[in-house]
Amino acid sequence: MMSRLAKKSPSLCTDQPLDNTDICNKLYLLRHLLTSCFGPRGRLKQVHNNIGGRVVTTSTSSVLLSAVSSSQPFINLIKISILNHVSRFSDCGLFAAILCLSIIERAKQSGLRGSVVIKVNKYLLDLCTCYLQQEDCGVRVKLDFCSSQNLIKLARSSISSKPACVLTEQETLHISRLAVQAFLLTVPCNSPGTTVTLGKTVIVSVEGHSVLSSSVFPGLLVDMPDVFHLNNMEYLHSNPLRMVLFSASLAGDLSELGDGRIEMHPGVDTDSQILDQLLELGKQVVKDEVKLFVCQKVIHPVLQQYLRSRGIIVIERLGITLMEPLTQLTGAQPVATLHTTIPPQAYGKVRDLTIRQFGSKTMLHLQPPGESAICTMILSHRNETMLSELKVVCQKTEHVLRFTLREPSALLGGGCTETHLAAYVRHKSMKEATEALSSLGCSQTDYLLGIEGFCRSLESVATALEHDDGKSLLDLTHAHHWTLPADVMKEHMEHNLGPCGCGLVESIPDKKWTYLHTKYPQISPAPLARDTAVQPRVLDSFTAKVNALQVAVETANLALDVRYVIHDMN
Amino acid sequence: MVLVEHLNLEHVLQTVSVLESVVLRSFGPEGGQVLFTRDTGQAMLSRSGTCILTALRLEHPLARIVVECALKHGSVTGDGSKTFILMLASILRMIHSTACKEPNVSHTYNSRDVSEATAARRLADELLAFVLEELDDLIATGVVPYGCCLSWEDFTAKPQLPADKNNHCVQKLLASFFQTRLGCTHSDFISDLTCELLTHWKFKNDQPSLSLQFVNDNFPALHTSVSGFPISCSRLIEGQVIHRDFATPCPQTDHKPVKAVVFTGYLQPKLLSAGEVLELRSGEQGKEGSFVQFNTWAERSLEGVFANLQSLGVSVLLSGVKQSAAVLALAAHANMCAVECVSEDELSLFAQLSGARPISDCWMIEPDNVATLTFCQPILLGAHRYVHVAFNDLEERLTIKPCSLIICGPGEGQTDQCASAFQDAIRMLLSTWEPMGRTASTASKRTLQSNKRTSFHKDDQIRNAPVFKPGCVIPAGGTFEFLLNHALLQQARSCLVSDDANMGFPAVSQLLANALLCVPRQIYSHSPRCFLQTQTALLSFIQNHSPPFSLVYNQEHNTVLTQGQDKSECPLVEGKQCMHCCREADKSSKGFMLDLGLESVSCKCQLLLAVLQCVSSLLHVDTVLHIHTQSRRLANISSEGTEDEAED
Repeated sequence: MMSRLAKKSPSLCTDQPLDNTDICNKLYLLRHLLTSCFGPRGRLKQVHNNIGGRVVTTSTSSVLLSAVSSSQPFINLIKISILNHVSRFSDCGLFAAILCLSIIERAKQSGLRGSVVIKVNKYLLDLCTCYLQQEDCGVRVKLDFCSSQNLIKLARSSISSKPACVLTEQETLHISRLAVQAFLLTVPCNSPGTTVTLGKTVIVSVEGHSVLSSSVFPGLLVDMPDVFHLNNMEYLHSNPLRMVLFSASLAGDLSELGDGRIEMHPGVDTDSQILDQLLELGKQVVKDEVKLFVCQKVIHPVLQQYLRSRGIIVIERLGITLMEPLTQLTGAQPVATLHTTIPPQAYGKVRDLTIRQFGSKTMLHLQPPGESAICTMILSHRNETMLSELKVVCQKTEHVLRFTLREPSALLGGGCTETHLAAYVRHKSMKEATEALSSLGCSQTDYLLGIEGFCRSLESVATALEHDDGKSLLDLTHAHHWTLPADVMKEHMEHNLGPCGCGLVESIPDKKWTYLHTKYPQISPAPLARDTAVQPRVLDSFTAKVNALQVAVETANLALDVRYVIHDMN
Repeated sequence: MVLVEHLNLEHVLQTVSVLESVVLRSFGPEGGQVLFTRDTGQAMLSRSGTCILTALRLEHPLARIVVECALKHGSVTGDGSKTFILMLASILRMIHSTACKEPNVSHTYNSRDVSEATAARRLADELLAFVLEELDDLIATGVVPYGCCLSWEDFTAKPQLPADKNNHCVQKLLASFFQTRLGCTHSDFISDLTCELLTHWKFKNDQPSLSLQFVNDNFPALHTSVSGFPISCSRLIEGQVIHRDFATPCPQTDHKPVKAVVFTGYLQPKLLSAGEVLELRSGEQGKEGSFVQFNTWAERSLEGVFANLQSLGVSVLLSGVKQSAAVLALAAHANMCAVECVSEDELSLFAQLSGARPISDCWMIEPDNVATLTFCQPILLGAHRYVHVAFNDLEERLTIKPCSLIICGPGEGQTDQCASAFQDAIRMLLSTWEPMGRTASTASKRTLQSNKRTSFHKDDQIRNAPVFKPGCVIPAGGTFEFLLNHALLQQARSCLVSDDANMGFPAVSQLLANALLCVPRQIYSHSPRCFLQTQTALLSFIQNHSPPFSLVYNQEHNTVLTQGQDKSECPLVEGKQCMHCCREADKSSKGFMLDLGLESVSCKCQLLLAVLQCVSSLLHVDTVLHIHTQSRRLANISSEGTEDEAED
């Protein structure tokens, strides 16, 4: 009632948020924060809260952006868009954020009308996406599933871009191989229908061991806290073992009675009635020669004791997350009826049971009776922070690898895609200037300013990869991205430049370079002759990057379109 | 204590001007988005006038009246709340300046304020009376002939060639609408999508409004918002998306068709319902009826239900409530997949589309409870996995191809905005289609008047013809205002000629005519030159071509209007934004109209009427009483509070 009486207070309004210095400063700050984290040599950030929570060391966009909360709704708008992209595609979050923020910044610097910038940006975005889909696109690499090399490179680019994992070169390679191995295990070999159902990788983290001891197992590993019950494991190795899986609680509670109240008269012994019922169930299981008894929830201790005494391995509190992989692995159907006989088709099969020890953890390894797309990845690392980052990275890498099934391509990494795309856009947009001008309905100066802003924003993502005062360069034939260490003069450049960012183009003496963010003559970037001897070193996910590009431009356009902010104070 | 605040015209004007300045930020082609946020962290984006005005949470009673009127108008037509405020401000300004200049600042009144207020009130009343009497006729003679009527075929004929797309009136109307709501970059894409959706939902031989009404009513169940993708990923998919995941692992069944049933209640009998008490006494167990036995019976009965379902070949269970674990386990054993907690809207849509009755009593399952689906499969949309079903064709709806809309956007703000724009677009189309509510009542009045004053119009035939057919549209970009302005001025002139001085209308119509021009002036605010050029081009067009010519590029008239028009130069409709109009106007007076997009005449007409009603109600208020309520009048207040909320 009181809340009704409270008067609604008027809202707080901000006119033209992009002209507001506070908002502009915050945007600038955010861009610098994210830029400094970008790439394999990015700087780490420690996130901690004021109430003594855990300190997180990270450079991933998803952790950073969710930690940054601004009083400015305008900033949050951008943040949420990027976070949404990351939660769908697991990659290229920083790319999208940096691109989006620099487009906004450059659009403001250009002084163009909001509506004009928005239209030009949209037009240029369409140019980019069309080009990336084209067959002769110079930065797209077809993935070949006959060899795992490119997949491992894709995984490695994703893993090495997260320096907070603190991995050596060798460790990175090891984890990349494991990620690809796990991914390949989850792809079913022979699926009946046209739709392929991918399996699942369950990640188990073990702290305090070397990264190189991480491994992947087909099948499922389940925590087994009390091993001393398993003294007679030998006979279990024989042939497929019968197992049963319960999804209802076997603790003897009264759950399914309804919402009403129960009044107990003295002398009623409901517990024993229920327990009798549970033991009935136990007897049937024993009669049906079940060797493994698994329950999602709690099992009554008496029932546990009964089953164990009959030589059955009991696993309780499996948890909802492992239910689906376990049904897929064993073919069992979860049982929830306690008062009727268990139908024979509900039983599942396990081929083999092994005890495995990982540090302090003892786990029961359940192997599938036949073909199955379930596997378990044991991840080890020296400490908890690095381990949790590594776990996140492995999940994301799996996600990125899965996209290759739908779209078997990748983009060149190391900033080469961005510089190449910028050069392409400059060239293409000038070639089609007349048509573009009439369809966009803006003047030529506006159009040129818009193009310059967009391309420079793309190039500034490439420059963001460099953190040690090195200079970013662009070659004038293929428009790939090169980095010149800070202490090298331009005169001695040829000898000090290695291959380009993605490793596909080698430095040759008669090549011409120019610094990024300087005016350079328009070039039509030449696609590389596909020489199989030279393979790119760095690859980015195609699907994730294309979406990131679109989301970044759309979010920037949206931010440029906001003219008024109304903050409801109620 | 009662605080008395005297109001005069200036106060009203001030208040409305403040509202106008907010609304202007998102008005017209140069307008942008408005971002709303709450302390809870919710963010919403909008260019819709209704949303902006609601979010302001104004305190001043005058402003609240204005907002209320604008919202009421917006809820009826789904469009025009921004123009409402703009027009209101403009008319009030005109009234203010006229009232100040009023020659008979009478001696009987002491205060200048009072005389002004009286003059203003009189003007407002005259305006309203004038509009109620004359507006329909004026629009029928001065505007409608230059427009065209949407036909139902416009929906159904799917544009195949890009050239056809230019002809597509509904598409253009929608594009203009979406431009004002979503911005220019996505308007074409979304309007194409809307047209496609409506084509799919076309009922055979029925009025378009039925089909529109259906989409409007079922819109929540017909669309799914997915964030994290660009807007251009939005699409239509066949069938219906049920916004729940499978509660049991979905078995890979290849046999088709799939049979499904809908349950509204619990399958497992419950021993106790809320509020009941179960007493357990000792001594009876062992002999008869312990509750363990009840559970056994309940599970047996469930097995019976499932046996029955299996005999009917059912493999999908949809349920409106959460079923017990036993039900799910039994469903899994019977190779059926279950979907729980499906919302009522979705179940009713499912029932309508599948033609199957939902089951309330699980002991009585008949063949007509069983729906036949072409498939039922999981679909991953963004973060969620939903259930995707498609229906077999039913006899009675051969022309409908049920489909659902997937709205994508980078964030929830954008998808919500898109969804609300979509629904408002449907509402706008509905009100474009509906014949105007007043027509019947004014028709009789008009015949009476035509007997009295025959001098007013030369052509009596037009007056007897229906005022305007439903679905009339006119090029956007201020065309309506220019034309009506022209018609009003002409009428004023003819009044003067006929010396009908006691009418008092010329002044009023002149005032209205001038006030109308504020809308195009804002549309072309970035370039005043454009405003003048458009006006001159339009007026010269009217003078050169007599009414049967439509300004709208229509299939029937295309021979006339395509002359001298270079199609490749104006690829698509630019909506209310007419950046090219200056250039185009130079080129050909016929061609330039094509770039303007379309808007609905009936919406505009209702808008004008609503504005004038609001003006007169505003000017009749002279004092505001601020009452400080004490807590003892709590009951009173709380009832008022609920009313307020209902109106929100």
